[in-house]
Amino acid sequence: MSANLSGVRHTRGFDVIKPLSIAALLLMMLPLVLLPIASIFIFGMSKGLASFWESLTAPDAIFALQLSFVTSFWATVFNVVFGLFAAYVLSKYTFWGRNSIIVMISIPTAIPTAVAGFALLLLWGPYGLLGQYLSADTQIMFTPYAIILANIFVTFPLAFGVIMPVLETMSHSLEEASATMGATRWQTFWHITLPSLRGAIVGGALLTFARSVGEFGSTILVSGNLAGRTQTAPLYIFAKFNEGQVEAANAIAIVLALFSFLIFSVLFFARDWLEAD
Amino acid sequence: MNPEQTKNITIAVSVESISKKFGETVVLEDINFEVVEGETLVLLGASGSGKTTILRIIAGLEKPGSGRVILHGKDVTNLPARERGVGVIFQSYALFPKMNVEKNIGYGLRLRKKSKAEIEEITDGLIKLTGLEEHRKKSPSQLSGGQQQRVAIARALAYNPEVLLFDEPFGALDAQIRTRLRREIRALLKEIKVPSIFITHDQEEALELGDRIAVLNEGRLEQIGTPYDVYNKPATEYVATFLGAANLLLGIINDGKFEAEDIFLKIEDDPKVRDGQSVKLVFRPEDVFLRKPENLTQNYQQLTDGFVEEINFVGAFERVVVRLNISTRQPIIVTRPKTETTAFPLTVGQRVKVGLVRFRILPNYTLASERASRMVDTL
Repeated sequence: MSANLSGVRHTRGFDVIKPLSIAALLLMMLPLVLLPIASIFIFGMSKGLASFWESLTAPDAIFALQLSFVTSFWATVFNVVFGLFAAYVLSKYTFWGRNSIIVMISIPTAIPTAVAGFALLLLWGPYGLLGQYLSADTQIMFTPYAIILANIFVTFPLAFGVIMPVLETMSHSLEEASATMGATRWQTFWHITLPSLRGAIVGGALLTFARSVGEFGSTILVSGNLAGRTQTAPLYIFAKFNEGQVEAANAIAIVLALFSFLIFSVLFFARDWLEAD
Repeated sequence: MNPEQTKNITIAVSVESISKKFGETVVLEDINFEVVEGETLVLLGASGSGKTTILRIIAGLEKPGSGRVILHGKDVTNLPARERGVGVIFQSYALFPKMNVEKNIGYGLRLRKKSKAEIEEITDGLIKLTGLEEHRKKSPSQLSGGQQQRVAIARALAYNPEVLLFDEPFGALDAQIRTRLRREIRALLKEIKVPSIFITHDQEEALELGDRIAVLNEGRLEQIGTPYDVYNKPATEYVATFLGAANLLLGIINDGKFEAEDIFLKIEDDPKVRDGQSVKLVFRPEDVFLRKPENLTQNYQQLTDGFVEEINFVGAFERVVVRLNISTRQPIIVTRPKTETTAFPLTVGQRVKVGLVRFRILPNYTLASERASRMVDTL
């Protein structure tokens, strides 16, 4: 009977399952993903553009955005350079303990961000393992440097994770060809290996940066959350919301949301272009 | 000029007792050969014969366990690849994907800090030589396999390599293109006269490309010689069977003749065998005649009788399986050209005379212990 039915459906050229399943998919996404994002924009704009602009240009808000971008930038620079170096070493050489190193590099993403922040406090805090030896004016915790450290920690394996597979699948004979043609290791890396990693490096950097900008759990523990001094954008949203200033929180939320769309689009569309030969 | 000096000038590559192990496995055992200026040598062997390892050792991409590599009189055994100045054409061509054709060709020159004008002049010349004028601004991914190969050759020629090393250069191409490219490369190499070493497992390719062929088997050099010699005068059973098809017949030497049951063959070349020695008679399918050929100037000897068991039409010639009229009823393979098949058609079951125009007598070693018994034999 059912076999008959499906036969009929197909001969008539109309498959009910297809539109139904697509509709079901959208329906599930609506309350879970689409509506929350939409409400940021709906609420943020509900009192007009002028009000939105005023919230956005408040000095603490601008500072929070700047701090987020600057600390994320330096964390990204470090993690891309580190990821490139680690991926190069680990793909080029096989040695005892190689897999353990790969696992260790990957651990930070598995650790809850609050635990990461707490761990940094225990190391660098005024009574921490290393922090106790720092004088009062060289303390790292509760400064922007602490935010960079926290960002580095939570995004540690991201760039590595993007670069490593590309490097591993890269044909070894390219490097050998370069060597037989007279290139030193450094020349080969610079002229041959690096250009092939362009897409992976940009992808890894964007991923690291996006993740850093949004970091909350570890930042709130290590930064001190001082408005205008160590308060990043996500902390600003949290603080303003707690103070009942929903509009102020909303303006920054819109900026962060738009920013992630932007990065996502670049990742989605520009990588093919960067990787094209 | 003393002989030593002449030797240094004419010999481009010299491989001296190279041995190599990977762990416990012996990959190469006491390999010796030379390539003279302008010559093309083909290293022919099955996969696992060690031919790629030899190539990599000459290029400096692999260290030999022992032995020396000498390029134009200079011992380069301990030099890294980049200081040897050899040109390697990789099987995958290994063109740099982010550089266009021009940039790929000029890479070796840029590394050598040549002036812009010089780089341009050499690149132009090579692009013309390899017929890549229309493609000079294209990236490797836009080129066909054959074009990529020409870029790889031009790229290696740019810096006047000591020797060109080709690693199975036609492996990635389909059969028709393969034949055409082979001829193109052969012509190109004759023109530029750069000494080259090819490695391949394809015997047809080896016969067509090589001025000389070196046959490798399990890390040992079985024979080295001109295609004619290696094909017609195989030194070992392995060479005979690897390079073309061969029929084998066991027998002994008696009174300077090959003897097997009632088969007697006069031996005319000098096979270095003694009376009473167990030997193998080796002959090619095309050297067998099923009747005495008319007007034959070659030496022809009657082997025995047989009957036709199978006839296959394989295009350019006919392939016949004949069972010999001896106690083992051994089958042999015979190929007959069109002229012969029309003049003398066969049917299955027919009785035929079997005669040979050319054959080789090889000492009867079992393959695996060939080296060991050869040593015993010389005692």
